[in-house]
Amino acid sequence: MSEIKVIITGTPGAGKTTAIAAISEVPPVRTDTATTDELADVKSETTVAMDFGELTLEDGQKVFLYGTPGQQRFEFMWKILVQGGLGLIVLVDCTRADPIADMGMYLDNFADFVAETGAVIGLVKRDVNDTPAVDDFYQALSQRGLMFPVLEVDVREQGDVSLMIEALVSLLEFA
Amino acid sequence: MSQVRISESGAQFCQSVFDDMMSQCDAVYGVLISTVDGHDVVRSFKQDMPAPKLAAMMSSVLALGETIAVEADQQQCRYVIVENSNGYILTLRLKEKLVLSVIARANANLGMLHSISRSAVEKLDEKLR
Repeated sequence: MSEIKVIITGTPGAGKTTAIAAISEVPPVRTDTATTDELADVKSETTVAMDFGELTLEDGQKVFLYGTPGQQRFEFMWKILVQGGLGLIVLVDCTRADPIADMGMYLDNFADFVAETGAVIGLVKRDVNDTPAVDDFYQALSQRGLMFPVLEVDVREQGDVSLMIEALVSLLEFA
Repeated sequence: MSQVRISESGAQFCQSVFDDMMSQCDAVYGVLISTVDGHDVVRSFKQDMPAPKLAAMMSSVLALGETIAVEADQQQCRYVIVENSNGYILTLRLKEKLVLSVIARANANLGMLHSISRSAVEKLDEKLR
């Protein structure tokens, strides 16, 4: 039985911890601590090291999910967590000021990893006005010479998280 | 930027506690108070070190230590110790939202480091609100 490691990253509050909790077959490992900065207006706790969860795909493949902290000051954890990883899911919070720039920031920081593997972009919190269309994200990816799936998801829904993982696995299988 | 603020008198008190730690154990060359979510609050370093980066790392390492303790069905995490070829880094929680980190050379006595760190937390815990 094969095992794959998938990394979930994205802006603080995008739902990385929620996504892993939604789909993990084991109680997820969390490293949440109290927020003491401006993020406290949005959420009371934030991940400072990693989240971890597990699930088994229909073909018996085991997926280990690692969630990163979102803030750039934790980029050392990003470098640690991608080791041995087979793909990246980037969650983009569309209520933020510039979601396309947010996506770009993570793609820049994970550029080496993404170049060797692949990524899926998950757009969350789409129920707001004045947020870029899905095509705008595809265009931004294209301008970077990248072709990755972009999915609108609700990370509280197990099916939506599963969809991102399946898209990533398919992308990697056919790469 | 963290919303945790230490008053001027509080910062002076922290510095006096840091000075005491360094005089009690001259192998100590850095003491840092940071927030649990990785912001530098107050520090005393005898050599140049990247405080913002260390603050973020200390919050990660302490959170991992506390989480590992729970997963291993052990009780409250008291310290996380990183023992290196030329020194020690000892990290422990200070109040609800702060982290105290002590950085020392290899000639430090680990028992002494424990003792002065625990004593510092008790003093700081009493003084800081």
